[in-house]
Amino acid sequence: MINKKNLWFGLFVAAFLITGCAKKSVEIEAPQGHAPTQEQASEVNEGSGIKSVGEMSEESMTQEEKLRQMKMIESQAKKIYFDFDKYNIRPDQMPRVEYDAQLFNKPEAKPFGIKVEGNCDEWGTDEYNYALGLKRAKSVRDALEAKGVDPKRMSIISYGESNPVCTEHTKECWAKNRRVEFELIP
Amino acid sequence: MRLFIVILCMTLSLFASDLTLEIVKDVGNLPKIAIEVSPESIEGKIGQKFFKLLLGDLKVTSHFDTISSSIEYAKILDPIDYAKYKDVAYLLRYKLFYDDFGDLEAKAVVYDIKTSEPLFQKLYRLRDKKRYPFIAHKIVYDLNEALHFPDVAFLKSFVIFAKYIAPKRSDIVLSDYTLTYQKTIVHGGLNIFPKWADKEQRSFYYTDMQGRPTLYRVDIYKGVRTKILSGDGMLVCSDVSADGSRLLLTMAPDDQPDIYEYNLHTHTLRRVTRYPGIDVNGNYIEDGSRVVFVSDRLGNPTIFAKRIDSDAVERIVYHGKNNSALNSFDHYIVYSSRESDNAFGPNTFNLYLTSTTSDYIRRLTANGVNIFPRFSSDGETVLFIKEFQRQTALGVIRLKYNKSYLFPLYTGKIQSIDW
Repeated sequence: MINKKNLWFGLFVAAFLITGCAKKSVEIEAPQGHAPTQEQASEVNEGSGIKSVGEMSEESMTQEEKLRQMKMIESQAKKIYFDFDKYNIRPDQMPRVEYDAQLFNKPEAKPFGIKVEGNCDEWGTDEYNYALGLKRAKSVRDALEAKGVDPKRMSIISYGESNPVCTEHTKECWAKNRRVEFELIP
Repeated sequence: MRLFIVILCMTLSLFASDLTLEIVKDVGNLPKIAIEVSPESIEGKIGQKFFKLLLGDLKVTSHFDTISSSIEYAKILDPIDYAKYKDVAYLLRYKLFYDDFGDLEAKAVVYDIKTSEPLFQKLYRLRDKKRYPFIAHKIVYDLNEALHFPDVAFLKSFVIFAKYIAPKRSDIVLSDYTLTYQKTIVHGGLNIFPKWADKEQRSFYYTDMQGRPTLYRVDIYKGVRTKILSGDGMLVCSDVSADGSRLLLTMAPDDQPDIYEYNLHTHTLRRVTRYPGIDVNGNYIEDGSRVVFVSDRLGNPTIFAKRIDSDAVERIVYHGKNNSALNSFDHYIVYSSRESDNAFGPNTFNLYLTSTTSDYIRRLTANGVNIFPRFSSDGETVLFIKEFQRQTALGVIRLKYNKSYLFPLYTGKIQSIDW
C-alpha cells in the first residue's frame, strides 16, 4: 500500500520529469553555425534589450477634443506678461488681471476650473526656469484671488520654456514668451 | 634639503589632486596614433561616422595625439609604412563589415610601430547596426585598457536626455555620450528632467507633466514604469543618493518651490529648504549629509549649501549675475554663470568649477552659452551643451587634462540631460 507521503513524492518527481528545469533565457546575438572567425568575438551589449514605455499620444488627443468646448472663454482671457527673470506682476499688467478676474467670474465661466500656466523665455536653464514659471503663475493666481476669483477653482502649473508662442531669437519674441496664460478645466 | 624636497613633493601632490586648479602647462608629449581603414570596410554614412567617432574618442581620452584627419586605407595584415609613421607610436587598423548573417562586425588591431607587434586585437559584433557608435567607443576603451592608461569608462556610458519636439511635448531619449546613437524611451506628452536612478544605468527617474506632475521610475531593460509620487505645480528629481535610496526633489506642495528629500525605503518626505522665493536643483555633496542648491534669496539665482538636518545656509558662489544651474560630485560643484549685466549679450553663460573644501574657482569655458553641466560617474569629466553663434555643440571637458572637446549637435532643443 502506498502511503500519502510516498504518493506526494511520486507526484512531485513525475511533475519534475514532465516539466523539466526552466530554460534559462540567454540572449545570444550571433546565431548558431556562424562562420568561423579567427578570434573570439566580444559582444557589444551596450544599448541592447532596451524597451520604450507605452505610446500615450492618442490619449492626449482625446483629452484635447474634450477641452475644445471651453476654448471660447480661454480665447477671451488676456495673457499676463513679465520682465526678464522676474515673477512680480508689473503695474501695466494689472488692468489685464482685473479683466481676467471679471471674465472668470462670469456665470458661463464659473462651472469651470482654471489652470494658471506659468511660462518662461528660452533663457535660464534647468529647474530654475520651471520654478520661475511656477512663481509667475502663483503671482497671478494670488492676484485673481484678491479680485474675487474662488481659489478652489484655480490650480497652478509651470511649463518652463517648453511652451513658447514665439520661436524667433529676438528680445520682442522672448518678452512674448514670459507670460502667464489660462486653460479652463471641466 | 631632503626634508624640503619631501615637503615640496607632498605639496605638489596635494595641489595635483585639486581639480579646481587649472593645469597651465602640459608636461611631456602624448603618444601619437594613426588610423588606417581596411579597403574592404563598409563605406557610406556609417563608415564615415564610425571613423569620426574613433577619432573623436581617441582625442577625448586625452591620452593620444591622433595624427589622422582623413581616412587612409590599408588592409589589416598589410606591411606597415615605417617611413610614413616615423614618429608615431601606435597604428590602429580596423575593418567594419557585415557578416553572412547581416550582423555588423568590426575587427580592430593596434600595432606598436616600434616593434611592429600587435598590442591588441579584437573582433566586435552586434545585431542592431544602429548601435554602431558603441563599437567605436568600446574599441577605444579596450585599447586604452590594453595600454594601462587611466580609466575612460565614460566613453561607454549612456546619456539620457529630454528634447522638445513641439510646444508642451518632449521625448526622453537614450544615447551614447556623443548623442550619435539615439533611442526614444518615453514618447507622448511633456516628459522632462530624466535622471539616472543607479550607477549601472539600468533605470531612470523622470517627470510626466500630463495632468499633475508625476515622478516615475523606468527600468530600461524591462520597459516597466513605476509611479514614485505626484505633486502640484512642479516636481523634479534633482539628485539620487550614492546608494540610490534617497532622492532630492524640487517640489511645490504649497505652490512654493522648495527642496525635499524622499526616502524610497520608508516612503517619507522631508523638507530640506524653507524659503518663500525659489529654491531648486538640490544636489548631494560630500558624504550626502549636505546639499548644494540654487536659490534666489539674494535677488538673483546663485549657489548655496546647507546640511540636510540644519537650517543654516552657506553661500558658495560670490560672483555672477545668474548662477542658475549646477551639478555636484563629492565636494566639487560645476555651475553655469552669467557675468555680464546684459542678459542678452554675447558671452552669456560660462561654466565654472569650485569646491566646498577650497576657495579656488576654475573657469571651464570661454565663450557662448554653456549649459547643462554634468559630471561623469568618476567626476573627472564634465559633459555640457554649448550654444554659440546659432550653433549647438556637445562639450566634453577632461578636468585633469585641462582639455575641452566640442561635437556638433543636431538634436533639436534639449530640455535636460543626465550622464
